[in-house]
Amino acid sequence: MSRFLVRRLLLTLPVLFFVSVIVFSLISLIPGDPARVLLGEEVSTDALEVLRKQLGLDRPLHIRYLYWLGRIVKGDLGKSVRDGRPVLDTLLQKLPTTIELAITSLIVAWAIAIPAGVLAAWKRRSAWDYGATTVALAGISIPNFWLGIMLIYLLAVNLRLLPPSGYVEPWIDLSRNLRLMVMPSIVLGSALAALVMRILRSSLIEVLGTDYVRTAHAKGLNDRTVVLKHAMKNAMIPVVTIMGLQLSGLLGGAIITETIFAIPGLGRLAVESILTRDYPMVQGVVLFAALAVVITNLAVDMIYASLDPRIRLEERTA
Amino acid sequence: MKRAVLFGIIAVLVVTSVTFAGAAPRRGGTLRVGLDADPPNMDPHQSTAAVDRQVFQNLFDKLVDLNQDLEIVPMLATSWTIADGGRTYTFRLRPNVVFHDGTPFNAEAVKYNFERMLDRTFGSNRFGEVNLVTGVTVVDDLTVRITLEKPYSPFLAVLSDRAGMMVSPTAARRLGKDFAREPVGAGPYKFVEKRPQERIVLERFDRHWDRTAGNVDRIIYRPFTDENARLANLRADELDIINQVPARDVPALRTDSKIRLLERSGLGWQGMWINVTVPPLNNKALRQALNAAIDRRTIVRVVFGETVTPGNGPFPPGMFTHSAPANSRVPERNLDLARQKLREGGQPNGFALTLKITPGREVQQVGQVIQSMVADVGIRVNLEIVEFGTLLAQHDAGQFQASLLGWSGRPDPDANIYGFFVTGGALNNSKYSNQRVDTLLDAARILTTNDQRRRAYAEIMAILNEDLPYLFIYWPKDYKTLGPKLQGFVHVPDGMVRLRHVWLNP
Repeated sequence: MSRFLVRRLLLTLPVLFFVSVIVFSLISLIPGDPARVLLGEEVSTDALEVLRKQLGLDRPLHIRYLYWLGRIVKGDLGKSVRDGRPVLDTLLQKLPTTIELAITSLIVAWAIAIPAGVLAAWKRRSAWDYGATTVALAGISIPNFWLGIMLIYLLAVNLRLLPPSGYVEPWIDLSRNLRLMVMPSIVLGSALAALVMRILRSSLIEVLGTDYVRTAHAKGLNDRTVVLKHAMKNAMIPVVTIMGLQLSGLLGGAIITETIFAIPGLGRLAVESILTRDYPMVQGVVLFAALAVVITNLAVDMIYASLDPRIRLEERTA
Repeated sequence: MKRAVLFGIIAVLVVTSVTFAGAAPRRGGTLRVGLDADPPNMDPHQSTAAVDRQVFQNLFDKLVDLNQDLEIVPMLATSWTIADGGRTYTFRLRPNVVFHDGTPFNAEAVKYNFERMLDRTFGSNRFGEVNLVTGVTVVDDLTVRITLEKPYSPFLAVLSDRAGMMVSPTAARRLGKDFAREPVGAGPYKFVEKRPQERIVLERFDRHWDRTAGNVDRIIYRPFTDENARLANLRADELDIINQVPARDVPALRTDSKIRLLERSGLGWQGMWINVTVPPLNNKALRQALNAAIDRRTIVRVVFGETVTPGNGPFPPGMFTHSAPANSRVPERNLDLARQKLREGGQPNGFALTLKITPGREVQQVGQVIQSMVADVGIRVNLEIVEFGTLLAQHDAGQFQASLLGWSGRPDPDANIYGFFVTGGALNNSKYSNQRVDTLLDAARILTTNDQRRRAYAEIMAILNEDLPYLFIYWPKDYKTLGPKLQGFVHVPDGMVRLRHVWLNP
């Protein structure tokens, strides 16, 4: 297991390197001079010259990349062009927020999807099945921004049950923090639940048709034990993959939801940095997101291995 | 009878004392402000974003300030004299003023601030605003003399904004560019913390010179880029004041019983930039045809309702230069004139034009209305949505024919016109060049009385109305929306949220 782990960790380095080259080149291709955008209304030819020099824009692309790479290796992600703060500081400040939103959204998604998926597979082609599928489809179809604003107006403005938007750190005010997470998690979770539910449903149906399940039935075990104890573990494998992908997506930030609910996460940071041509910050965010994907993939693979011993053995013989 | 009189007197006293008690400022509370964007930079000498200025109003004191009528009033400077034909400004400074870190405010501090702005190695973004300053002399502890290379009438207006905001020399020397992360000013509120895209917190500064300022204990600024979410937060009592509301919400807000909508005419202008160096609009007659085919009043009515005013120049109502007919008279749509100009320009059947716009509902609607209006004379407009940063780049490279972009506005008329129409001006997107206009623009900076300047600007506008490097279309109004608790707010047309004398009812 540990050899497996080490090998996978080493593989992350070329991935990150590749991602960084692509991002660096792509951002530079975006039209628009960062100095000009930064100065906005305050532009004057003097100011432009000074700023371009400060930003190092007078140097060619590959030189700038090498400088950046050299600093990254030392753990220095550079300073944001917009507010001068170190990029790493800002990323670390927003990371807990994004992680919290990701986790609460996934909890909502799983809370909806897993019971619905099990029910739909177990009682397939019944009213439960069709009902669950409809609810799931509604979750995907309803646009995030509409659902978000509707929830705010209903629950926060009219009924005053929850605060409308914003963020406060859990260690400052835990109860308010959790209340602020309710609506954004519902918005994000409902969209994610549908996919999880459908995959679980079809995976479980397939597993329920296998030989060992029929054997379990033949042994006289009741339906519920068969489904929940014996079939679920295997049925969960593709579901775990999906969850992993969803988690890594969420760790890159949920832009629309963060904007509507004024949550200072990585999504909003990414968009603002691109629009203001804050190159160092964009690099930092994308690198972070790539790292998040790689790590969650690794975690998912570990979970596979623990769920299904066959996978562990395959890895070893391979 | 005597008892009735006695009761009457008591009743009157009670009623008056209660009303006065309700009107008296209360100390205490946390004021929550909703901004339309996240202010990036807390150093007034480095700041470029307009939204930074909102926080600065309460964090930094300036040499002078503006009142509701856009007149210059004392702040850190209590009086001033202008001599030598407008080249020398001598300011008397307010005594017993300290910065948040205890550094005394005096003429030396003023001198340091100007040196910082003019230091080319520091690279201040205020340099262009104060580069006419040739010397700052400390006459005595509370008197400072500033000399300019040539007379410059907008100078005091410039000092009522970021260039006049005084930073603590001790902190600035120690921190250099990092001053933005720990700003130290002399305003009624001092800096506590800033978390990007999350909040900025200010706290009352107890040693501020104005004993009537700083009623509220703390101010928290929160950015809400989504305008619906911003308004929802105000409605849900999570905010006390917000800056900017969507135009379509204004009618409902006017009649809302709980929240108050304040409206004033603003300082900015909006319209269409025309690149006069590329076809088809390098032809003046064709520009005039385009202008004649547009109906400004209808555009405003359809897209904005009452939330903007149709206009024809860079000087909105409220500016002393507004009344010049070339600026304020909104032309009627004239299709006959349009067709005549098309023939004059050699395109009797119209021509094709690409109009670039930034993403956004309202600007798109303006584009569409213009598109349909000018189609009536055969001008075929193609609307192209371009991201803001990219549009700026295309402007600089002259890669556009026309675009819908405006200016947020400044209190002095010079700042609303100079850089846009002077030859080679940094903001002159049209690449327009007219020597007479250049001369008049420079003259208007040197002339000292409002009347003289108004005449100069009137003449400039007459020329611009003829040459049309820019089609002015409307002047946005400035709105502030207040929750029920906030009292004592004074709405100044520059759109800044000044909070030093407000208070909160429970």
